[in-house]
Amino acid sequence: MTSRALPPVQDSPANSMEHNTEESSPRLEPSRKYPGALIVVEGIDGSGKSTQLYLLKRWLEIGGYRLHFTEWNSSPLVKSATRRGKQRRLLTPTTFSLLHAADFADRCERQILPLLHSGYLVLADRYIYTAFARDVARNCSPRWLRNLYRFAPVPDITFYFRAPLDVAVKRIMSGRPKLKYYEAGMDLNLSLDRAESFRIFQGRILAQYDEMIESDKFVVMDGTLPVNSLQKQMRQMVKARIDLSRFAPKKSARRAS
Amino acid sequence: MTAAKSNRKNGQPKKTQTPSGSSPRNYGLPLPGVNDEEFGGSLIVIEGMDGSGRSTQIALLTEWLESEGFAVETMGLRRSGLVAKDIDALLAENTITRMTLTLMYATDFYDQLEHRIIPALRSDFVVLADRYFYTLIARAVARGIERDYLNGLYEMAVRPDLTFWLNVRPEVAFEREFRKSHAISYWESGRDLSLSDDLFQSFILYQAKIKSEFEALSERHGFIALDGEASVVSVNNELRKRIAAHLGIQRTHYRPSTALAPLWR
Repeated sequence: MTSRALPPVQDSPANSMEHNTEESSPRLEPSRKYPGALIVVEGIDGSGKSTQLYLLKRWLEIGGYRLHFTEWNSSPLVKSATRRGKQRRLLTPTTFSLLHAADFADRCERQILPLLHSGYLVLADRYIYTAFARDVARNCSPRWLRNLYRFAPVPDITFYFRAPLDVAVKRIMSGRPKLKYYEAGMDLNLSLDRAESFRIFQGRILAQYDEMIESDKFVVMDGTLPVNSLQKQMRQMVKARIDLSRFAPKKSARRAS
Repeated sequence: MTAAKSNRKNGQPKKTQTPSGSSPRNYGLPLPGVNDEEFGGSLIVIEGMDGSGRSTQIALLTEWLESEGFAVETMGLRRSGLVAKDIDALLAENTITRMTLTLMYATDFYDQLEHRIIPALRSDFVVLADRYFYTLIARAVARGIERDYLNGLYEMAVRPDLTFWLNVRPEVAFEREFRKSHAISYWESGRDLSLSDDLFQSFILYQAKIKSEFEALSERHGFIALDGEASVVSVNNELRKRIAAHLGIQRTHYRPSTALAPLWR
């Protein structure tokens, strides 16, 4: 793990702290140094990504494939700090970003990387692109963020569920009665009205996601399509891009039917 | 406290000059929402390993500066309102990995920077930092994290006006620490790196790694290296001389109050 946890940045001269290019080219190719594979879903709240990843997971589980499912913001190690920061509204764009990076690092170092090295198919509901989109929408520097997450393995497939802002916001507002302070981007003083602030903030995030479609090789999924047809596309794409036999149950292993 | 009274006039807070001309106050990037130009205060960093005398010097400098009429704010590692307690808890467990720890320390650092240091600098305070991100870089490099990554992580840090490095040999630091607390901390001896089963050996090997990283940092950032093995009085005289020149304090005579007199040796 030490050999590949922090690959060198290709674009900046070694030891230069003060390079001035605002754009930093990310690493784009998935690593072939481990036998595992990483599938990621991204998109704004209400884009349908979690439903689709759940269905993909069920399909693979039922097939008996070796997989692990991971979510953004799920490490217990950092949870108390994040909760405190949010409750007391202590977080600035920078510390908000850093705490989430610490949380991700914990998951990355203790789950994602070891599992990829031991040959698992890892499914991630949100990944580093969530941080890029959301933190840039909070005015963090893209260059700083790209560096911050440099230790993250590059996904084999990143599905980007793209739904128009109105559709996504409507889905969220109908399901959730109360928007949280940071979730609604209230720290950015976009609007005094929480729902309006949420809408503006999500719009900014959506724009950031769109910016990454080409540079980060997103597979764009039309979030307005029916659930089952999206799932069909997703499964086809996974089969085409990933050799699933690597994750299939061992022949010798007996499976209860 | 008579010193405080008599020196007040003499120590009329002089407007601090922007350090080294027009160089920006960060390492390449501004913090979101921070305008560097507003800073009127000064940031003075004291670096050095445990046992190098940092906290003693900071206590003395605080008193001296206050007696000269300067408002002082302090910072240090693991002192943020946001995550200090969480880092304590993480260090107590052995499940924490190096990237997570690196990023938790970075959170702690930036929380103090944004909530304490920058507001103080805007209000003309002299900020005394008991260690700065340099220590965090040295520790992370000792654990195999790339310098380039770490430099990028701290690109938005405020560039200090003066950085002093209290240089001591690891053997001397070990002895001082042991005398003080009758124990050497797990982390300060780098035991997570499995350098040696022997605690003393581990401490020496780890601190030697840190020290060599500090030599590189010193070159890069222009630290003022002081002999941390010299007496408290002579180190303090040297610090005051340099700080007085920076702040425009004419007279640097100082005798500690009775409260701090035991440190003065």
